[in-house]
Amino acid sequence: MAESYHAYMAWLEASAAGHVMRDTGVWTYAIVNLFHLIGIAGLFGAICVLDLRLLGVWRSIPLGMISRPAVNVAGTGLGLAAVTGVFLLATKAREYSDNPFLLPKFVFIVLALLNLVVLHLTPSWRAHRGRDLTQKEYRGLAIFGATSLVFWLGAITCGRLIGYW
Amino acid sequence: MPKRILAAAALAASFAMPAAAHHGWSGQEEKVTELTGTVTKGVSLAGPHGEMQIKVGTVLWEVTLAPPARTAAAGLKPGVIPVGATVTVRGNKSTEPGHREMKTILVVHGDKRYAVYPERN
Repeated sequence: MAESYHAYMAWLEASAAGHVMRDTGVWTYAIVNLFHLIGIAGLFGAICVLDLRLLGVWRSIPLGMISRPAVNVAGTGLGLAAVTGVFLLATKAREYSDNPFLLPKFVFIVLALLNLVVLHLTPSWRAHRGRDLTQKEYRGLAIFGATSLVFWLGAITCGRLIGYW
Repeated sequence: MPKRILAAAALAASFAMPAAAHHGWSGQEEKVTELTGTVTKGVSLAGPHGEMQIKVGTVLWEVTLAPPARTAAAGLKPGVIPVGATVTVRGNKSTEPGHREMKTILVVHGDKRYAVYPERN
């Protein structure tokens, strides 16, 4: 397991993505990093609004009016952050593979995505775009807002700390 | 409501703060010292900051340079100092025990002086 992890990191570093990051000028890393941050800003900004609504903030606004724009912006941000993230990692994947914050960050991301999948399977979420939910249904969804905030904040915290190790 | 958001932001910021001490210059010694050694890994400008590695006696030191664009602007680019060359680097050593790393202000190679942080020199 650990062996294939390190082998994968070595492969990633040697890949075309790694070469692009290392050999295309002194601004490459900075610019890719910038788009990574823009992606995270979109992801977390939008997901924050959705999660706070799930937690009961802005009760006068039906969930369905918030969820579509929030999910679209968050999804686009996640895509941008994920693609740029692979490139950033490829710069020095072997070195980063030993960073104590890298694996916790991935664990938080996986947990956040699992949270999202389970939320989308709930009958209340499936119903919320067709009608406003009952108070009972809203209460049932609140936990997903809380766990989502914790997991994404965890991922962001670990991600930021990678650079400080 | 805004109070709640502020509280959340403050909580998030508090996570990041202890680590801030590690970045920049605050994780380094106050005093400026010099190391003279031979280059074991030449200048690399890949990643968030430039770096090279030198051997002082039998000890390897990681030499952290400025961000890539600033390091290149000081004239310090990959290949300008060959591996095996003798260099003197001036900067601030890491305060972390056992961490052989210097954040560098100036690199001297022969009669060439590369001041990556001239304002600190």
